[in-house]
Order: sequence, then structure tokens, then C-alpha cells
Amino acid sequence: METNWILFYVTLICLIINPITAEIVNKNVERNLDIASQLVKTSYKIQVEETAGKPLKEYEFIVKDPNLSFISVKDGFNKRPTIEERKEKENGLTRYKITFASNAPQQTLLIETVSTKNILPYPSEIKQNDKQLVKYVGGLYYYSYYLTQTQRLNVQLSSSNIIAHTQVRPFAVMSNKISYGPYENVAKLTDDELFVHYENQSPFLTVNTLERTIEVSHWGNIAVKEEIQMTHTGAKLKGSFSRYDFQKDGRSGQSAVKSYRTYLPASATGVYYRDTNGNISTSNMNQMRDSVELDLRPRFPLFGGWKTQYVLGYNVPSYEYLYNSDDDYVLKMYVIDHIHDNMVIDEAVITIILPEGSSNIKLEPPYSIERRPNSLVHTYLDTVGRPVISFSQSNLVENHIAEFTLKYKFSKVSLLQEPLLVIGFIYIIFLLTIVLLRLDFSITSHSHKD
Amino acid sequence: MNRGSKILNTKVAGYSSLITFAVLLIAWIAGFSSRLFAVIRFESIIHEFDPWFNYRATAYMVQHGWYKFLNWFDERAWYPLGRIVGGTVYPGLMITSGGIHYLLHILNIPVHIRDICVFLAPVFSGLTSISTYLLTKELWSPGAGLFAASFIAIVPGYISRSVAGSYDNEGIAIFALQFTYFLWVRSVKTGSVFWSAGAAISYFYMVSAWGGYVFIINLIPLHVFMLLIMGRYSPRLLTSYSTFYILGLLFSMQIPFVGFQPIRTSEHMAAMGVFVLLMAVAALRHLQTVLSRNEFKKLFIVGGLLSAVLVFVAVVVLTMMGVVAPWSGRFYSLWDTGYAKIHIPIIASVSEHQPTTWFSFFFDLHILVCAFPVGLWYCVKRVNDERVFVILYAISAVYFAGVMVRLMLTLTPVVCMLAGVAFSGLLDVFLQEDSSKRLANTVNSVQEIDEQEESLEKKSLYDKAGKLRHRTKHDPTHETGISSNLKSIVILAVLMILMMFAVHCTWVTSNAYSSPSIVLAFHNSQDGSRNILDDFREAYYWLSQNTADDARIMSWWDYGYQIAGMANRTTLVDNNTWNNSHIALVGKAMSSTEEKSYEIMTSLDVDYVLVIFGGVIGYSGDDINKFLWMVRIAEGEHPKDIKESDFFTDRGEFRVDAEGAPALLNCLMYKLSYYRFGELKLDYRGPSGYDRTRNAVIGNKDFELKYLEEAYTTEHWLVRIYRVKKPFEFNRPSLKAKDRLIPPTNFISRKNLKRRKGLIRNRPMVVKGKRTLK
Amino acid sequence: MESMHRYVSPVNPAVFPHLATVLLIIGTFFTAWFFVFVVSRKSSKESTLIKELLISLCASIFLGFGILFLLLTVGIYV
Repeated sequence: METNWILFYVTLICLIINPITAEIVNKNVERNLDIASQLVKTSYKIQVEETAGKPLKEYEFIVKDPNLSFISVKDGFNKRPTIEERKEKENGLTRYKITFASNAPQQTLLIETVSTKNILPYPSEIKQNDKQLVKYVGGLYYYSYYLTQTQRLNVQLSSSNIIAHTQVRPFAVMSNKISYGPYENVAKLTDDELFVHYENQSPFLTVNTLERTIEVSHWGNIAVKEEIQMTHTGAKLKGSFSRYDFQKDGRSGQSAVKSYRTYLPASATGVYYRDTNGNISTSNMNQMRDSVELDLRPRFPLFGGWKTQYVLGYNVPSYEYLYNSDDDYVLKMYVIDHIHDNMVIDEAVITIILPEGSSNIKLEPPYSIERRPNSLVHTYLDTVGRPVISFSQSNLVENHIAEFTLKYKFSKVSLLQEPLLVIGFIYIIFLLTIVLLRLDFSITSHSHKD
Repeated sequence: MNRGSKILNTKVAGYSSLITFAVLLIAWIAGFSSRLFAVIRFESIIHEFDPWFNYRATAYMVQHGWYKFLNWFDERAWYPLGRIVGGTVYPGLMITSGGIHYLLHILNIPVHIRDICVFLAPVFSGLTSISTYLLTKELWSPGAGLFAASFIAIVPGYISRSVAGSYDNEGIAIFALQFTYFLWVRSVKTGSVFWSAGAAISYFYMVSAWGGYVFIINLIPLHVFMLLIMGRYSPRLLTSYSTFYILGLLFSMQIPFVGFQPIRTSEHMAAMGVFVLLMAVAALRHLQTVLSRNEFKKLFIVGGLLSAVLVFVAVVVLTMMGVVAPWSGRFYSLWDTGYAKIHIPIIASVSEHQPTTWFSFFFDLHILVCAFPVGLWYCVKRVNDERVFVILYAISAVYFAGVMVRLMLTLTPVVCMLAGVAFSGLLDVFLQEDSSKRLANTVNSVQEIDEQEESLEKKSLYDKAGKLRHRTKHDPTHETGISSNLKSIVILAVLMILMMFAVHCTWVTSNAYSSPSIVLAFHNSQDGSRNILDDFREAYYWLSQNTADDARIMSWWDYGYQIAGMANRTTLVDNNTWNNSHIALVGKAMSSTEEKSYEIMTSLDVDYVLVIFGGVIGYSGDDINKFLWMVRIAEGEHPKDIKESDFFTDRGEFRVDAEGAPALLNCLMYKLSYYRFGELKLDYRGPSGYDRTRNAVIGNKDFELKYLEEAYTTEHWLVRIYRVKKPFEFNRPSLKAKDRLIPPTNFISRKNLKRRKGLIRNRPMVVKGKRTLK
Repeated sequence: MESMHRYVSPVNPAVFPHLATVLLIIGTFFTAWFFVFVVSRKSSKESTLIKELLISLCASIFLGFGILFLLLTVGIYV
């Protein structure tokens, strides 16, 4: 105990006497940790100060959660500082170098991160009537290279049923919230564990693979097809499934996913929802003002560990997403679209099929993606094939719904290629008839007549 | 004048062929669209049971190629035996749709193979009507042909097997049948090798498509035989039959499933016999021209007797030696309708193998069944070589249709043809115009009227009928025999009848034959909305997604093809009922108690058991209602363990309520169907555990399953899937008391009697059940 | 990007079905004409090749566009 105090004073003295060694401090850090769904959403509000009063240029930010999916940074003036991921990774940490837009000794950072697969069902197998309990393990203190003077942590849970959680004073529990702190002067790289074990009945649906195909037709239509394979990644169902309990008892199988909502663009028409065995007849469609709301029911309720896959497709008119001036075209569409709330996509493959004869194709993605080789596809009335642009990205969440831009050239004359093909085909048949009938004289003269 | 009439004639020929063409096209379109009820009401989906296998095989062929398909050993069926698919199917259907798929993909038309399979039968119905037109034209007149073509396009007896989604052999086989007959009649008429070779090729296609080719290979020889008896032998007949038989024989043996059957089984012997006979007759005819009358007579008698004896002895000896197989069981059941019920319960258990009721003749053929004898009479009255054929066709088809519901299908085309002849003959009489005009365009007038009737049938255009009446009214001055009033009345009546026929066909098709049977629809009585029961696909999809890829699923054989097709899992038995004892084993497992069936199930490595239970929604085709067949089939193979009488009450009733037989109330099928059903209350007032299908409160309500656990039950409880527990999952060992003793070995205990019971002090005693000591 | 405007189809998708019907009917009419013409030609020996070619060209143009719009109507956007 004594030594601790001594250490503290020493550090304090060091801080006061020698500000050059600890140039940057986090004056105040507020963290909101939202673990009410299957995602870990953290928002940081960090006030940074350069104690020597020099302009603050760079800041190093560390994310401790593995499977980081999304990060966005703003500063106090609502500007976006540049952010750069450090290449070297040490023991599962992701490090970012943030370069501020303005030079000032005091800066405010607003950072949002979303990570996936960090809330684990505990126990990992439950019976049909049991509640789904999960645990989250994270950092109690803000993990930083710098000293943090004061900090708070608010944890948002999905229910007030908390089995256990880390108890480091001061803390307070208010129904489905736990607030920790304020903690004063936490030394850099302090790594204490935050543990929360609580009830979370929100759907733990993971989209294992999403294959999104966007087919552009210059006859005024864009067809979108999404092939989705999903798994319930919550607590696995142990023992038998009882339809009787499931029907009679509303509390039975609460963590099972009976249906979920998908939002499609408002102009979507011709929606289909099917799998390899045909149409899935259990779905409802509501036309909202700014979207089409689909209430999708899988063929069977998804219990923990159960899988399903399906295809969802629709058409949207081209004027919503396609722009042109003369022969230059620009397609602006979402890379991925909403599948269900708080979705997690393990792997998404996006394929864009352009009309036959498109050239000079340039893709501008909204974030870094993995480009796949271009190819050709042959479908109705094609001769040389349609160009296909394809790219993929893994570990996506709702925040990744953003527009890509695809520029290409297409001459309007090639639009006539398809009808001409049909006309030519039919005309050849007519010509064949004419020729054959003329030949017919020689071969049918002895034709049988009775 | 001459030139002018010639131009008129060609113009008439032009218009008449346009009309023919248009009628056939309309018949094709009407036939195609009337088969689409299921697609419009539900979706583009494969129906029922057998089509699922055909679809799966086709998809396999499209994916892996033709040679892989021929060598396909399907380890997902008949576990643990497997099935050599390539050698046990008629590949014509798969080749046809696979070929279409290939062609379309060459043309960059990316149609899914499922859609090709779904729409194959409706497309082929158009070809059938064209070949029916051709055949009837050969037999009677083009007008009758058009009638026949439009009849067969919409007649329910054929639609029942060729609606969209009913992807079965019959869909293409009827086309092949009609086309073969057309080519055959053509070749008999012309004596041309070309046409008879064409008939043989068409026969080859038929052999590759359907087991019903046996009908052709017996009917054509019968035709030849009758012609010989009637003294209508001609060199044309000799040429056509010998070409057809030899080529057809060689072709048919190219199909792996048929193999050497055409020379080794009794079903094909008639064709060979007639071939020999025809050769003998031809030889005699030849000798007749060479030899004198007396010599010939001697030779004829001696040689005839000798050869008859020789052939008979040869056939008997070959049959006895086993070279020629005797009649197969299915064939016997054609002659003796009671045969199957006694000897082959598995054939009798299929509803389409039941004898046909009178009602279904009318239901499937409507007015045609009345018109058909008239056409037959016309043919008998004006008999010639090819009309002998259609008479034989009609008589044999009527017989077979009476034996089996399924064979209504072979009757339908001939009924359509003869009804076409009848109507054409009727209208010939009543639509005669004045004789001078008639000479010029008899054919045309008949066709024109046909055309008008066609459009009337299809679109119910009353204005056209009005025009027709109008014209007939203006004719009377030229008429000789029949008064014009009578004429118009008769024509009106005929038109009415034809209209009724079209209405009936549409109604039957829409109500009786357009249900996919894997998706059920019912109308809500309260708000009239249409609800869909999709439980089958729900269950199959659950199986495909949430069981191990190699999981083995036990179910009654009806669902084997569907499980393989939709869930892609291994089944024990399926609709290809080639192994009766395996099916009986499954039947035994279903009808034994849980303990006994667990032994069977573990010996067969069963992972899941699937049963169909309709008690919640009142679906009558469920497993409890089929259960007696399972018992019967099991009893056939295991008479010691399973007795049908055990499952009846003392009064001989089959009931599931408290008075039901104890064997029934404790068998596996009962338990799996009713597990936890006893707790379910379907409505507030009724008792719990009320079975809506059998209108009874179930007898055995409160029981637990020991060796199985519920894995999944669909929303309306229609399909219930159970997981078979592994031996280590039980709370208690499943061994029976006597099995728990260590079997005697050579080891002899050195402990004597007194010391045998050792005792350790202060040790807690754990009693684990009681052991019977001897 | 600013200079660009939204891209609309050269033919309003709402008229696809009507266009398909009309074009197909006209095309079928020409086909029937061609059919009758060709079948009745047999006896009259005079050369009608040009007329046949013209009729069939008309028929194939109408049928071709008719089929195209039929495809577009049923949702196959080529």
C-alpha cells in the first residue's frame, strides 16, 4: 500500500517536473459501450491535451477488441481527421495514427468503433426454454499510450438481468445500464478487465456469406439479387426441440429468430424471396414512405446453431442510381444493403454486371475492398458477354452501408444490338423456309398420297 | 377457267394449311396454358414424388455430364445398399430436358434446369397433339385430325400426367407413343423402309423414355397378326414390320435398363413370334408362286404344324431353362386384378394401381367417352389396314384402362382420335353444302368448321357460332336429305357439347390435377383468404440445413424421393421400390415397439426418423392412414414378428382412440406421430389430443420417448422429425437384464460360494437396479 | 458528375406490355401472310422471291421487336 502511494507521488512529480516525457495526456475520456445487441458499439469522447502547449499533430489510438469492423473519427469541429492503420500488430491490438486537421494544443476526438463476435453466449448451449445469457470481456479503463486523467464508462445492456459484472468502485447499476467511474489518473497501458455476464435475447444472426449481384440494364432497370447464408450464432440449442412448447409458451425459445426485417429501397418492385426448394411463402411486404419493409420469416425458426440460406431479389428503376451525360455513365449504389438490424456479415462478395459493350470501367469504392478479377457473363441475347466487376470484403456491419461509384462508357447504338439479333435470327428462319420450299420441288414430287 | 380454278385451288390449299397450322398452334397454346394452373397458383415447382427423382437425376446429369450419369451409383438412396441409377432408369426424360438445357445454354439463355423440367410436359403436350393430328389424318381425315389434336390438348386424362411440374416419363412418352404409331401406320400404308425406320427410331425414343413401350411392342405385332389372319398380307406389311422389328429390337437393347430383355422376357416374345410368323407367311407366299397347288397344300400343312410345335416347344424349354424370363408380377396384375393384392402388397398399396372406377372414365374423358364408340364403329364399318390398327389400339387400351387407373393414360389418345373421327363424321353429314361446291372444298369446309369450334372451345367466342348458324340457315334450298332446322339444331347441340367439354376439362384440370402436393393450400372459411401450408418444404429444408451432410433418414418409402431431392440427405427406402425386404424392414421398425425398432434402427445406422402426421390440420394422406400397408408389407417378410391382426381391435377395426389395439398404441409410428400431441388442445372447448384426421381422441396420450428425441416439428405438425439417440445418451443402459450379465467364458472363478460376496466396510452402497440372481 | 442527369430508359417501361402485344400481332399477321403466300405459290411459276423476302423482312422486324419487348415485360431485362 505504502509503495503504491510512493509510486503515485513519484509519477505525479515526474509529470509535473518533466512534462517533456509525457507530452500528451487524455484529459477526459468518456466511453459509451453498447452491448445490447450482438455488436459491441463503443463511442469515445476524448479530450487530449498537449501539456507543453505545443500544437498537437498526431495521436495514437488503440482498439483492444478483436474483430474490429468499423471505425470513424471526428474532431471537435466536426471535421474528419485523417486516420491511418499501423501495419504492425502486437498481441491482437489494432493501432491507429490519427493526424489532426487543425493545430491546437487541445483537441477533442469523437471516435466510434464497432466490433463483432466479442459477445459470447455463456453458457454456450441452452435448452429451448432457457434464457440466453452472454458475457462480454473488455477493458475497464481506456487503453491508451497516454496517461488518462479522468474517465468514465457507461455500459448499455439489453436487459436488467445482470448475472455478474466487474465491481471496481465507483460504479452504479441502473436497470439495464452500468456506469463506471470517474476514475482518476490511470497510467498508460493499464489493462484491467471488464466482465459483464447478462441476459441478451436479441437475435444473434450472422450472415456467413452475402453474394450481392447488381445487374444493370439500359432498358431502364437495375436488378439486385442477394444470396444470403446465415447462422444463429447465439447459444446453441441443447436437447430436443418441442413444437408444443414453442407454440404454447410464449417464453419458450425467446432467443430463437422467428422473423426479421429487411429494408429495401423505396422503389423496389418485383421482390422475390426463395431458396433452392422454391418460394418461401412466409413473408410480408409493407410499402413505407422511404423504404420497402420486408418481414422475412425463414422456413423454420432459427435456434442457436441453426442455419438457413435464401435468395432475395428485387428490381429498381435505373433513374434512381444511374446517371449519364452522352456516353459516360455513372452508377452509384450501396455496396451492401440492410439485411437485419445490427447485422454482421462475415464475407460479402459484390458483383456488378454491366450491359454488353461497356468499356473504360472504373470503380471507386467508399472504403478499402478486395478487388477480384473482372470477367464476362453470358445471358439472354448476348454475343461477346457482359463485363462483370467483382469485389469482396469481410466483417461488415450496418455502418458499411455506403455508396460506391462506378464509371463506364456505353454507346447508345449498342442498345439496338439485341433486337437486331432477334430479327436476324427470325429472318434466317424465314430465309431457310423460302430456300427449303424451293428445294422441295425436287424431293416431294413422289410424296405419298392416299 | 382451268387456270383460274387452279389458282383458286392453291389459294384454298394455302388457307387450309394456314388454318391447319393455326388450329394446331392454338391447340398447343391452349394445351400449354391449361397446364399452368399449378404454376400460377403456386410457383414453378416440381410436383409429387417421382418427378423429384427425375429432377434430381436430371440435375445430376446436367452437372456431371452424360457418362457420369450413366455410371452414377447413388449412395444417398437405399442405405446401405445404394442404387445404380444409370442402369435402372429410363434416361429419355433426362436426356430430353438435359439436351434442351444444353441447347439453351449454347444460345446464352441461362434457364435453370428446374424450369425446363417443370415446363417440359406442357411443351410436349403440344407435340403430342401434333402427332395425334398426324396419326388421325392418316387414319381418317385431316378434319378428324384437327378435332383429335384439340381434344388431346385439353383432355383431363392426359393432363393428369402432364401438368407443369409433373416431370414424369409419361409426359414425353405419350408423344413418343403417338408419333411411333403415326410412323408405323404411315409405313404400313406406304410399305416404305424410310417410314418404318422412322418408326423404329421413334420407338427407340419411347423405350428410352417409359416402361410402357411394352404396349407398342405388343400392339404392333398384334396389328400385324390380325392383318395376317384377315388375309390382308401384303409385301408392304412385310417390309415395314421386318424393318421396324429388327431395328427396334436392336435400338431397344441399347438402353441399359432394358438390356437383353427384348430377347429374354415373355413380354417381348409376341413380337418375335409374329416376326417369325410373318416370315413364314412371306416364304409360303413365295412358294405359292413357285410350286403347284397340291405340293403347296402338303407343304403348308406339314410345315405349319411342324413349325408351330417347334416354336411352342422352344419357348417352353427356354422358359424352363430360365433363358426366357416368365411374366413379371406387374404384368400378371394386368390380367388378374386381385393378383397384386395377394402377392405384391407394395404394388397394391399405390393408389394409381387400383382398378378404375366408372366414374373416372367420365371424369377424365367427359363426352369423348360417349363419342369414342361411334368413331370405333365408323372405323369398323370402313375398315382398312390402318383402321384395324386403331381398332386394336382402342380395344386393348380400354381393357388396360379398366385394370389400372394409371393406364387411363394410354386410353386417352385413342379415345381422342376416335372421338375426333366421330365428330368429324357427324359434321360431315350435317354441314354439307350443295354438292357442286362440296366437291371443290370438302376438306376445307370441315377444317373451317373445326377451326371455328376450336376458337369456340378456347375462347368461347359466341359470335363465330352465330356466323355458323347464319350460314347453315341460308343453305336449305340446296339440301336434299336433312331439313335445315334439324341441321342447325344438331350443330348447335354439338357445339354446346363441345363447349361443355372445354369447360369440364378446365374445371377438372384446375381442381383435380393442379395441386403440387408438396405445397397445400386451403381457403380460410372466415375471410376467404388463401392460406398456404408449406410444411413439407419447411421440414425438408430444415433437414438440408441443420443435419450432418451424411445423416441417414428413415421414413416410409413415399417420401424417399422428396427427401433426396429437397433435403439432399441419405434415405433408406424410396419410391423406386426395387427391394421389398428393405422396405419391409422399415415397415417392421415403424410397427414394432420403441425398443425393438431401436435395434433395427441402430443396425441400419439411422440418424433421423421422419413421419407425416396430419392430425392437427386434418390431412388425410398421413402415415397413420398408410400404416396398415406398412404392417402388411412388414408381415410379408417378417410374419413371426408382425401380424396385421394385432393392429385391429377385436371387432376388426383400425382405430387410434382408447379402444385401439395395444400393438398399435405402442408401436413406433404411433408414438412418433402423437408424441406430446396428447397435451395439445386444438380449440378451447374440445378435449386435448383430438385427432382431426381420424376424428378421435387418441388413446395413448401420456408417454415419453426413450430412444428418440424430437428434433423438429413443422408449424402445422405435418412433418415430424426425430433424432435417434446414440447409445451413450440414455440415462440408463439400454441393455436388458439378461444381456447385462457377463456372458460365460472359460474363466472360472477361484472364489467359492462363500467368498463370492465380498464386503468392504464403511463403503456406501450404491444400488443400481436389481440383478436377477440365479 | 454535376453535368450528368438521371438515366431513364429510351422507352417508358409502362408501355412495354402494350408495345409487345401490338408488335407481336402485326408480326403474326405478316407471318400468316407469308405462310399463305408461300404455300399458294407452288403452282404459279412466276418469280415472287422479292415479295417473299420483303414480307418476311417485315414479319421478322415486327416479331423481333415484339419478342424483345415481351422479354422486357416479363422481367428479363436484356
